[in-house]
Amino acid sequence: MKTETLASSRTQEIMDLHKARVGRRNRRALPKNILIYAFMTGLAFLFMLPIFWMASTSLKLPREVFAFPMEWLPSNPQWGNYEEAFSKFPLWRFMWNSTYMVVLSTIGQLISVPLIAYGFARFEFPGKNILFMLMLATLMVPTHIKFIPLYWMFQQLGLIGTYWPIILPEFFGHPFFIFLMTQYMRSIPKELDEAARLDGAGSFTILYLVILPLCKPVLAVIVVFSFLWNWNEFMAPLIFLDDFEEYPISVGLAFFQGRYSVEWHLFMAATLVSILPVLVLYFFAQRHLIGGLSAIGLKG
Amino acid sequence: MFKKTIKAIFSAILATPIALMALADDQVTITVWSMDGHDLGNEDTHRQVIAAFEAAHPNIKIDLTLLPESGLEDRMNTAIGAGGKLPDVFPLISGEWAPIALDLSSYIEADPDLSQDMYAEPFWRTRATFGEKVVALPTGIGANVVLYNKDVFDKAGVEYPTADWTTEDFIKKAVAITDKANGVWGGDRPRDAYRAIWHNYDAQVYSDDSTTVEGYHNSPQSLAAYQWYWDLVHSDATPTKAEIDVLGTEGTGPVDLFIAGRLGMATLNQSHMLRALKEGINFGMVPEPAGPSKDRHANAWSATPAIAGNSEHPQEAYEFLSFWAGMEGQYISMTTGLNMFPSIPALWKDHPYIDHPAIQTFKTTLDWPLVRDFDGTHLCWRAALRRVDEVYELIGLKAIERNEIKKALDKEVVVLQTALDDCVSRLGS
Amino acid sequence: MQFMGRKSKRERTQAIEGYVALSPWMFGFLFFYAIPILASLYLSFTQWTLVGSAKWIGFENYIRMFTRDPVFIDAATATGFFVLYSLPFKLILGLMLALLLNMKLPGMNYFRTIFFLPAVISGVAVSLMWIWFLQPDTGVVNTLLRYVGISGPGWFWDINWALPSVAMMSIWKVGGAAIIYLAGLQNIPAHLYEAAAIDGASKWQQFWRITLPLLTPVLLFQLIIEMIDAFKIFTEAFVITQGGPLNRTYFFLYYFYEEAFRNFNMGYASALAIFLLIVIMSATALVKWWSNRWVYYEN
Repeated sequence: MKTETLASSRTQEIMDLHKARVGRRNRRALPKNILIYAFMTGLAFLFMLPIFWMASTSLKLPREVFAFPMEWLPSNPQWGNYEEAFSKFPLWRFMWNSTYMVVLSTIGQLISVPLIAYGFARFEFPGKNILFMLMLATLMVPTHIKFIPLYWMFQQLGLIGTYWPIILPEFFGHPFFIFLMTQYMRSIPKELDEAARLDGAGSFTILYLVILPLCKPVLAVIVVFSFLWNWNEFMAPLIFLDDFEEYPISVGLAFFQGRYSVEWHLFMAATLVSILPVLVLYFFAQRHLIGGLSAIGLKG
Repeated sequence: MFKKTIKAIFSAILATPIALMALADDQVTITVWSMDGHDLGNEDTHRQVIAAFEAAHPNIKIDLTLLPESGLEDRMNTAIGAGGKLPDVFPLISGEWAPIALDLSSYIEADPDLSQDMYAEPFWRTRATFGEKVVALPTGIGANVVLYNKDVFDKAGVEYPTADWTTEDFIKKAVAITDKANGVWGGDRPRDAYRAIWHNYDAQVYSDDSTTVEGYHNSPQSLAAYQWYWDLVHSDATPTKAEIDVLGTEGTGPVDLFIAGRLGMATLNQSHMLRALKEGINFGMVPEPAGPSKDRHANAWSATPAIAGNSEHPQEAYEFLSFWAGMEGQYISMTTGLNMFPSIPALWKDHPYIDHPAIQTFKTTLDWPLVRDFDGTHLCWRAALRRVDEVYELIGLKAIERNEIKKALDKEVVVLQTALDDCVSRLGS
Repeated sequence: MQFMGRKSKRERTQAIEGYVALSPWMFGFLFFYAIPILASLYLSFTQWTLVGSAKWIGFENYIRMFTRDPVFIDAATATGFFVLYSLPFKLILGLMLALLLNMKLPGMNYFRTIFFLPAVISGVAVSLMWIWFLQPDTGVVNTLLRYVGISGPGWFWDINWALPSVAMMSIWKVGGAAIIYLAGLQNIPAHLYEAAAIDGASKWQQFWRITLPLLTPVLLFQLIIEMIDAFKIFTEAFVITQGGPLNRTYFFLYYFYEEAFRNFNMGYASALAIFLLIVIMSATALVKWWSNRWVYYEN
């Protein structure tokens, strides 16, 4: 306690000195910043190269795709490829289906995760630690072993051919989100609960009126990650849906890989368009992610 | 009196839903799983076949699930594993599914419009029959043939291949037309061991009764086929595996490389042939080259829809299946969308591309004996081959000397025998 | 006595409410994990071809796995080496990227989006794109290398390069790890750095003395998550290499998939899955135990 005050007063003192220096340093730092930017841009260029290649391919003529030596850019960009890709398969319809599926899945996570995490973070009961470990251990299970038993179960329920087999599991909480939310809730002082309890609030009122409003950063993480993961989900919709008109974009894209030929330029065009919604969501949500993800480092 | 009235009213109330249910029962729904692709047709073709069928059979409704080509097998296996209801009609793309398919023999006997004689014989024998049972009906067919790019041959001043050419000719011509500087390869390489060319060397991976590998996989005939493959790879007239992989995910083949003019000869199929036609490529077509064997073999197949053994409406399912694989259905599939090639020879005269010489060449190969992979009599063929790709791969990677092949095959016999025994114990011979 | 009774009543309410809160998860666990795992465990002692019923054969599948299946060894080797190759790179490069992105400079948001992008897009198309990208003759990478006079390797088609190529693909997705590090970095109180700067600690020392120790909990989390993911590698083999060349990329889960859904050998495949699960759990337990020596929690 004592050392801390000492340190902070000393900090304050030198901070002022420091600030005075920063102004001068910033001007001198300019060349250094340019160096950093140049490096970052170079790195970004490397990272974007595969995407650039996809974009370039999506605008090529089929013959140019296979040219030797390779051509970096199409001689005459074929914007019509995009139109062709969209006329070949109902891509808008597929994207709409994906959106529907993803939104419902995300709602499922948003409903279940806070409740479950609340149980782990705030209550004492026998077997809690074992259950928490078990919950984390489910991350290790390879998804492939689940499909046959799940198909059997959903067939018994008569739900094959609906979105339920894909969405329903999302209503029971993803272990990653539960872990994150539990950590975050533990970092919220218990005094808040106690105060509310003294005012006569029940446990679940406390969750929804006191704790959850403080967990917004984690909710943002859930929205973004749940969106990402489900947007790319391929096997479950393939196995559980029946109607061509109900397929999400992940399955729809697979139709471009025909039995005897792949129209690469159209395939790449469709893929690029399918990425856009995810990209836009991420761009606008990323600022909110950091706070929620920071709970990972807290002591469990 | 009163009692009677009550009774009458009650029975009327009860009767209504029962009558409605009966009415609904008249309308039978048949679920069909299929895939988007050239042997069965694209989405449009499926819709047209179904529309024509429903118009002719107002009491049957078809519920179609169209899957991407890459997904049908996974989904079907999941459904089979779950053990419940299967789709009434599905393409039998895996020989292992034969036991769950309905035996169609009695249905065909009772059907005046359909008989075995209608179909091209090899395709009736392949996946359509399993032991004594008829498990599926053939629809669209396919076969591998060698397409050659006339422009590439002309440029190099090399004569076109002819139908009676041999495997040695293949390598010679490939070397002669290769033009490295412009990225032009002579001819492609077989994408698996024990395809048509292996059969043309009389090579066989194991005995007919599925018991012995020794003396088959390492026989002089097998060795000769592998050595031919070694010669081809080392002629440097054939694209590397990397080139082939890029241009063909499974089943695609190097069609794009061929169409881009970067491959002189390519082992492709009927669907690629149509694509080359439509793209205006100046090409000719010959069967796969002959080897020392007296027979020439074809790598040919057909799409064979079947009916699930546990179907609740086998009669109605058969109605649809026999329509789809019968004269009318195949006519629609042939004339729409991707112009499937029918397994009913009588329909061929109406094929939109019948006048093209390439189609005629294609037709001749269809009477040849088929390679084992598609012959349906050996369930373990594929499972075993999956385990014996080492020598094939080593040659492809240029990682083995020509005189080491025999020893490597001998070594592989042991591995293969284990895999075969294991497979036979599960699936039978 | 009365006091004790009241306390246990409170405890009971606590327990009941806790279980109620957990009930959705327990329900989901039962149906989506417990039943499938128990089913796999049962099937691993049987021979089952999907068609027909399963036949009990005791430990036969496990005996075969350990005594006479060369492919099992290939699969285990490929998976093991993939974990070893990809994990350190992903953890270290992820951290380095996060340090860069943590700099307070204008426009960092755009860079963050760019680097995270590869982690966002996935699926078959992206994997296929890599085949093109690394194609030895016409691919982008080797074409670039040729410009500077280097003849590039055969990547996926070279016995020795195939596995590193797949690892390289996973490193492209390092942005996913970086974003989590970034969250951890921003959590470190600024006053610690200020104090250290005043004490004359260099940036280098600050990193080793402050950043890294305070980041160890995040590091542990990343290690475990990425390790589990690495063990479960599948799509790359499925789409790109089909396990080749010479089984160098025949990853464990791909082997499971081939046995289960292509070779109609569900019993054996289940044994493989159970084995993989046990390996992942043991590895995780080992890491957790080892982490007691180096993870540092504030407070």
